[in-house]
Parts: sequence; C-alpha cells; structure tokens
Amino acid sequence: MMASRSPGLAPSVARFRWASSHTRRRLSHAQRWGISLLAALLVFAWVVPLFLDADPTRQDLMSTLAAPSLQHPLGTDHLGRSMLARVAAAIRLSLGLALLSVVTAALPGLLAGVTAGWRGGWCDRLLSTVADCVLALPGLLLVLMLAAIAPGNFWTLYIGIALVLWVEYFRVVRSATRILAQSPQVESSRLLGFGRWYIFRRHLWPELAPQVTTLAAFGAATSILAVSSLGFVSIGLKPPTAELGLMMTELFPYYQEAPWVLAQPVLALFFMVLSFHLLAGKEPQ
Amino acid sequence: MTNHWRNLAMAALGGALLFPINVHADDRVDVVAPWEINSLDPVQAGHVYGRMQIAETLVDTDLQGNLVPGLATDWQSSDDGLSWRFNVRPEVRFHDGSRMTAESVAQSLNRTLANPGVLSQADIDSIEADGDAIRIMLNAPYSALPALLTHYSTQILAPASYTEDGKVQELIATGPFRIVSLNTPQRLEAERFDEYWGEAPAITATSYLAAPRGETRALMAQSGDADIAFTLDAASQARLRMTPSVALHAEPIPRTVTVKLNAAREAFDSVEERRALSLAIDRQGIARGVMRVEDAAANQLMPAGMGAWHLEGLAAPEKNLEKARRLLESQGWTPGEDGILQQDGQPFSVTLTTFADRPELPVIATALQDQWRQLGIDVAVNVGNSSEIPSSHNDGSLDMGLLARNFGLVPDPLAIVRQDFGPQGGDWGAMNWSSDALNSAVGELISATDEGRKAALEKQTAEILHEQMPVIPVAWYVQTASVNARLGGFAIDPFERSYRLSDLHWEE
Amino acid sequence: MNRVISTLLLQRLVQAGLVAWVVGTLTFILTRALPGDMAFRIAAGRYGYEQVNAEAAAAVQAELGLDQSPLIAYFHWLSDLLSLDLGHSLVSGESVVSELAHQLGHSLDLALMAMLLALVIGVPVGILSGLRPNGWVDRLALVSAVALRSLPPFVIGLLLIMLFAVQLGWLPAAGHGGGSHLWLPAMALALGLAAVSARVTRHGMARVAGSPYYAFSRTRGLSEGQTLARHGLRNVAVPVIAYLSVQLVYLVEGVVVIESLFAWPGIGHALVHAVVARDVPMIQGTALVMGLLFVTLNTLVDLVSLYIDPRRRLS
Repeated sequence: MMASRSPGLAPSVARFRWASSHTRRRLSHAQRWGISLLAALLVFAWVVPLFLDADPTRQDLMSTLAAPSLQHPLGTDHLGRSMLARVAAAIRLSLGLALLSVVTAALPGLLAGVTAGWRGGWCDRLLSTVADCVLALPGLLLVLMLAAIAPGNFWTLYIGIALVLWVEYFRVVRSATRILAQSPQVESSRLLGFGRWYIFRRHLWPELAPQVTTLAAFGAATSILAVSSLGFVSIGLKPPTAELGLMMTELFPYYQEAPWVLAQPVLALFFMVLSFHLLAGKEPQ
Repeated sequence: MTNHWRNLAMAALGGALLFPINVHADDRVDVVAPWEINSLDPVQAGHVYGRMQIAETLVDTDLQGNLVPGLATDWQSSDDGLSWRFNVRPEVRFHDGSRMTAESVAQSLNRTLANPGVLSQADIDSIEADGDAIRIMLNAPYSALPALLTHYSTQILAPASYTEDGKVQELIATGPFRIVSLNTPQRLEAERFDEYWGEAPAITATSYLAAPRGETRALMAQSGDADIAFTLDAASQARLRMTPSVALHAEPIPRTVTVKLNAAREAFDSVEERRALSLAIDRQGIARGVMRVEDAAANQLMPAGMGAWHLEGLAAPEKNLEKARRLLESQGWTPGEDGILQQDGQPFSVTLTTFADRPELPVIATALQDQWRQLGIDVAVNVGNSSEIPSSHNDGSLDMGLLARNFGLVPDPLAIVRQDFGPQGGDWGAMNWSSDALNSAVGELISATDEGRKAALEKQTAEILHEQMPVIPVAWYVQTASVNARLGGFAIDPFERSYRLSDLHWEE
Repeated sequence: MNRVISTLLLQRLVQAGLVAWVVGTLTFILTRALPGDMAFRIAAGRYGYEQVNAEAAAAVQAELGLDQSPLIAYFHWLSDLLSLDLGHSLVSGESVVSELAHQLGHSLDLALMAMLLALVIGVPVGILSGLRPNGWVDRLALVSAVALRSLPPFVIGLLLIMLFAVQLGWLPAAGHGGGSHLWLPAMALALGLAAVSARVTRHGMARVAGSPYYAFSRTRGLSEGQTLARHGLRNVAVPVIAYLSVQLVYLVEGVVVIESLFAWPGIGHALVHAVVARDVPMIQGTALVMGLLFVTLNTLVDLVSLYIDPRRRLS
C-alpha cells in the first residue's frame, strides 16, 4: 500500500532502453565494489581451507580464546578451535542457507505478488487475505513451531524464517505490479498480442528487480540474525556446526575477554550484507 | 495501562534531559539471579520464596548442611521408625497476622503431599495435627524424613493462602520478609516482617529479579543495580574482581555434571565400556576451559564436604586414550575404515541429549563430542528441552544424557541416591542398571540410626557407584556471587536453600 | 470521507474475526503436531528441570486430561473463545488474560518507545541523506544502516549497557519497574529500526526533492527549510508510517532477545516459554492478542494515512 502512487512514466521509459540492452549492461561503480567484496568472501570461504590444515571442530581446551598467532591466524574460540577454519566454514554454510531462505521467500512472494497485482479481483483479494493472516500470525511463533517439529535442523529454521519473510516481497511486488499492469506500455504489448512471459520479462521485471533485490539483501541479513536471536534463547543449537548467527550467540559470553573473536562473525556478516547491497544497486522505495 | 503511559512519559522526560537517575541509592537489597518465579505456588517456585526468606519450612539447615530447628522446635521418631512427631514452634505469626497452628501446618503439608515432589520419597501414610505437634505416619521407615522437610516444596503457608480447590491465591507465609509486590515470572519486592518470630533482620527491604543471561547479571553488579548477583560466568568474575565496589564470593556446591548412560545399549552395557568413555574425557580441560575453575574436575560423583559419600584418597582424574582404546577393544570394538569404532559391522554411533537451562551444558556436550570422537565414537549432540531426558528415559529411547544433578536438593544425599540408583534406575540417574549390593546398602541406610554404620554404608554405596559407573561424573559446580562491598554478613549457602538476607547489614 | 472510513472499519472488523480464527486453529494444529511428550514438557515448565520425572508427568497428565481427543479439545477451545474465555496457563495456573495484560503492557511500552526513538533518529538522517542523494551523509548513512543491521541486537544492547550504565552510570543496566529502565532496551531496538527507516525516508525524500513541484517551490524563492516543511515532510511521512507499522508488529514479537538481555517481562519472552513448555492456552492467547494487535495497528495506520494524504480519500 505504500508504493501505490504512480511513479511517473519517465523512469519506465528510461528503463525500457536499459532493458533492451540489459544483456551487456555495464556495471555501476558500486556494483563492481559489491562483486569484488563478495568474491573476496567466497575466496576466503572456499580457498583458505585448501591451504590451511585446520579442522573447524578440532578442539584444544588448553588454548582457548587465544590471540591470533601463526598457527591460528584469527585466534581460537572458547573451545580452542581455529577461528579461521570456523569463520570460513560458517560463511560457506550461512551463505548457502541465507540464499535458500531468500529464494524460498522471494519466489513465492514474487509469483503471488505479480499474480495478485495483475489479475486483480477475487484472486487479489484471496492472496491479500492470506498475506494479512500470515502477517498477523506472530512470525516468531511460526519459526518456533517449525524449529520444534524438526529440532536440530538448520533448514527448518531458515524455511520458517522464509515463511514469514515472503509477505514483504508479496506486498511490494503486488502494489508495484498493480500500477505497471495499467501502464500504456503493458497495455500496448498486450494489444499487440505478446504473451504473458514476454510482458513480464520486458515490462514488469526491470521495474520490480531493484526493489526485490534490495529486499533480498536485507532479507539475507535478517535470516542470519534471526538464527542468532533464536540461538540466544537456546533454540536451534547444533554443535559443533559453525554458522555465523550461532557463532555470534556462542561467542557472546566472551565479549570482554576476547572481543576480537566475537567481532569476526559480525564482520563476516557485515561484509556479506554490504556486498549484497552494493550488488543490488538501487534500493526500493 | 495508565501506569504504562506514566512510565513512558517519565522515561521520555528522563531521557530528554539525560538526567542522571540514581536508581540504587537506597537501603533495599536488590538480588538478581537466573531463576524465574513461574508460579505463586511453593511446590513450583518455592526455591525463590525460600531463598528470599519469605517462606519457611519445619526443618532448617545451617551453612554446613546440618539440620537445625525451623518452624518445628524439635522432632522424634518412634523406635520402629514409622511414626514421627514434629513439635510446632509456638508464637509464630503468618504475614497476615494470624497465628500458625499445628492444624495449619498439617493442612499445608498435606497439600504438598498431594502434589508431585520429594515428599513422595518417603512412603507417607498420613500427616495430622496432634496437639501442638504434627504426627507423620509412614508405611516404611525413612530416616531422612527431617531432611525432606527442608525442601522448598514443604514450605508452610497460612490457610488463607489457598482457594477452596487448593490453589495458592496469595503467598502468606512466616519468613522474616513479606511480599509487597510480585510480578511473575520475573520480579518480587519484599519488606521486613515486624512480627517475625526470630531475630529481626537489619535489612528493611529486598527485591528479586530473574535475569536469564549471565552477562546481564554481571553488568548489573558492576553498575550497582544489583547488590547481590548470583551465578556469574568466569569472564565476568575476572572483571568484577577488578571492581572495587563489589566483593566476589565462591563456594563449592553439591551439584555435579554427569553423563547418564542407557546401560541396555550395546555400547554401554559393560563396565569396561563405561570406564573407557570416562577415561577419554579431558576433565581438567573442561574444568579449566569451560567451567573456568581448576578444582571443578570431578574424580567421583560427590564433591568434598558430603561426608562419607565423598571417597577420600582417590587420584585426580586422568585422561588416558590408550587405556580407553584397550578397554573398548576387549569388548570387541575395532576401528573401521572411517576411524569410527565398530562391533559386528555396527558403528559406535550415539546421541548425547542435553539442554540449555544451564548454559554450560551445551558447551560441555560439544567438548565431550570432540573428546569421544578422538576415541573413535561418533556422537551427535541434541540440545533440547530438559524434559527430554526423563521422557526418553521412560520410553527407553535415550542413548546418553548430559545433565547437572543437585545431590544437595535435600541436605541428605540419600534421598537423591535412592531416587537415581534404585532397582528401576531413575529419571536423572541410572538407566537399565542396578546393583544388588547397592540396593541392600541403601535399603539398610533408610532405616539406620547408628552414625558409624551409616557412614560405612554411605562409603560402600559411593564405591559401587564409582566402580560401576552407571553415570559418568564430569565436573563439580562452584556457586559464585558478587556482593555490594557495603553489605556485611554475606555467605553462600552451599545447599542453595537461602540467600541469608536476614544476616546482612549495611556497613557505614 | 465518512463512507470510506466506515467501509475500512468494517473490512478490518471482518479481518479481525478471520485472523482470530485462523491464528487459533493454526496454533492448535501446530501444537498438536509438535514432537515430545506434552506432559513431561509441562511438568518441566512447572516444577523446574530437577523435579521433572515420570511421577510429575503422570500427575500433570491426570490433572489436565491431556488424553482428550484433539477434536473435542478444539471445540472446547472455540466455544471458550466465543465466550471470551482464554483459559488458564498450564504452567503457572494463572488466567491467560491476566498474564497477558501484564506482559503486553510492558511490550507495548517498549515497542512504542523504540518506535518514537527510531523516528527521532531515523527521519532526520533520512531527510538529510535524501536531500543530497549520494552525498557523504547518504553514503555514511548507508554504511551505518548496513552495520546496524549486521549487528545482532544483543551486541547493540550490550554496548549500550556498557556505555550508559557501567561507564557513565546514567541509567540502570537492566530490570524493570521504574521509568528509567525503559530507556536502554528501547534504544537498543530503536537503533536497528532507525537504520531502515532512515533508508525509507531517504528514498521518499529523494523522490520528492527531485520532483518538479519541489524545484518550483525552491525557484519561487522559498528557503530550503520552508520548502521542506511545506512540501517535503507530508509526502515523506506516508511511506515511513506504512513501513513502521509493519515493523511495530515485528517489534512486539521480535524483542525476545532484548527482553531476555534486559530482564524485561515482555510478550516475546512469554511466547518462547509457552512454546517450550507446551503451554497451549498461553500460546493461543499470545498469538491471538498479537494478531488482533496487528489488525488494530493496520487500521490506525490506514486512518492516519488518510488524514495525511488527502488523495487517498478519493480512491
């Protein structure tokens, strides 16, 4: 309901040109930064373990919370495990799970949003009612319940979080689609007999993409932080797995003794989210 | 609701002016501890009411765990041990001003008896008032009955506390402090009760706050928001030691981290296997790295200070992987290709169930997982709800459970030992394991009166538990508290029954 | 105008009824689907972990009649709901309504205060960034927003306690009861919220600032401040309010971490405990109240938007 005012035609026209050459579009300055940052994270997560012989679960209780050294370049955690190996493992896992969560939220949200906005009528009313009910249902409750049904499984946590987050996409996409569907371009394409897929690709997606991608960038952070919040109330713990959100929770008690250890998963998440934001480029309204 | 708006407005005002609001410059003793007040009913939340000295029991304990008179002045049992008489203290008033009578005591205890709890340990036939005393009739002798009557679930409340159907509607008890306001599940405020039967406390007002996070409690102690903060993690202790406005106290308590084993499992059905598991544990590492107390490494079930239950002269616990491997090999466990031990093609794969009510348990579980993996055992850790251990004990699905057991729940460990290691095992103790020798020793202890004989039997029982290892002891607990340096007279009760607030005084 | 409002209210009323039914039924199905022995769970919630054993579980089972058929239990719940009876907590034995009244009050205090602070911090930052898109304020604001959104709330809360309670001694570290206790937890929540509302404001502002009428107003000789007050704020307000209204609900429920760090007796905390202890009446009561709260808030936001943005009254 917040994006229901007409954004004017000018941007659509501009993007029309953009869309026709989108295959060989030049990346913006910010997006190049985003790519480099993400690439650096990926290299760190996948390449470092190849050169470093460290097991993210191997403990050494005699050297817990050790400062960075040659043997452990990022220090050790509260059980004496190599932080370098753990952060790398955690990025691999969390990145995958966050993407899973984002995709499971964005896809249904996008599909339902476009359908509701385009078709209107009872279809719109039905989907909007479902969305309102989901919003009204405490998200925490859904996640807690799913976590309780299959305890100790990360994917249920992330799916539960996705079940809550899809509504955001739905709302944004629906209101944008409603306006776009009545625009002259879509109208003329329809009259010219172009199929739905073509109209979606040509007119809707370029307009929706920046909004959806930014929601996704924030969504990735939201889902990882949600896991760490749940860990804080002792839900979803699954030792000895390294996962960014849970690492923050596990290392929190040592904030005073070893702040650099707590800072590592936080920084990893920061860079991850920042790279997504830069990649997403334009933010939604 | 109006109250909330006022609070909001006040906060906005306070914040807007960034006015230094000094909230703790009063004489009230503010206590912060991890445990929530989940009900008005002492059967459920009496631990808080007992510790805050709001409610009292017939029998009390001193700091060494000896039984001393509480609301009962003295007690005797008949020669056959089946009939007990507790003389009720005269001139005791409840917080509403009414007199405590033998009838009100009997009513309160009968209500406790109707609820699940430690009182069912003794096979009680009836509890009745008999003049100025109450008479408890047993179906079988139970020498530890006075110890059971120290438990918080047996706190005495006034008859006016109960509704007609026996629910607690108001907490009217006899302690030196009485409740002013109670907001379950987190906050309680109390004031001195002027008609208290005993010595009047020097402290005029107290408060209790349940703060689930250790970090919060430590920060509240450091900032002066809490005068007494219980259960501090090691990192916070180091910091608080540097803070001049607080004094740090630590005291070993009879609580032990143990691993409960399902002895019906192929992997745990022999003493050799259980010993091997025990030998693979790096207790010093867990004590130093996780509990952060050097003395926490447990070489047996009960810590020192538990009389004959603690075996003197045992060596410090050692980690010996070689010996552990040999023991397992003697039981037919040989390494498979993936390094995991096998027996008849079956891998040594088990699930360790634990819970996070005590935040160190999942961490210890993670440490054990790695240490047993070095032995070739594949352990999955399941961090769930505390009820999963007793419930999977009862349906037989438990492999192993990591838990913290309080042997001082009542001052005589016999009550817990009997509950945990009886012929049927116990929800929090042995599983599918029993020992005839232990059963006969415990059976004799339950009616023994001679102190020398009791000590011998206790030692014998402790030795069986140590040899047979139906549960594996891992670490002992040390209770910690940080106390405002201006408060005098503080001591930690190792049995965690009372915070001893009535002994405190403000120093000028 | 009046007709628009009355249709809106009627729609919302129907929605409220629907939400109540869906929320209740879904929680009912979900709680029945949860694994684990319910009697043991409830006993653990009641007596604490050390007292829970087969005996306690059996007593709970007998007292609560847990072996009742699910369908009968469901219709019991439904008819109780119609007579506005939410039942009693299985753990504390107190009535669900009185427990919720206490907790919801505290949660609302916290949420409203956090919202207020988020507006006070987020909106000015957003307007400054939006007036000069891609200027240094804008870039700094983006990086801070990302940073605040990457910090778990407990770390933000911790930093605030260390600064304001331990170092400066201005505010109490944790607990509740006095007005000053509200300040730090509200701030911890507000910072994360302000991060995003600043971005929403920024985009609204950038759009308004780039619009022809805004430029016209400037060329007419009005100062920047006057233009902003006359044309900017009102246009920016609508999306910000709409965004925050959704966030308010997240806040009410999403504060579990802050509640447990600051020992604040809120509804998130209550919900986690209820789910853990399988306290079905409490779960249903909490979910119901939160659902209805959402509908009420949405209605209020619609009314406020109608007031601010007259164009909407026509549609």
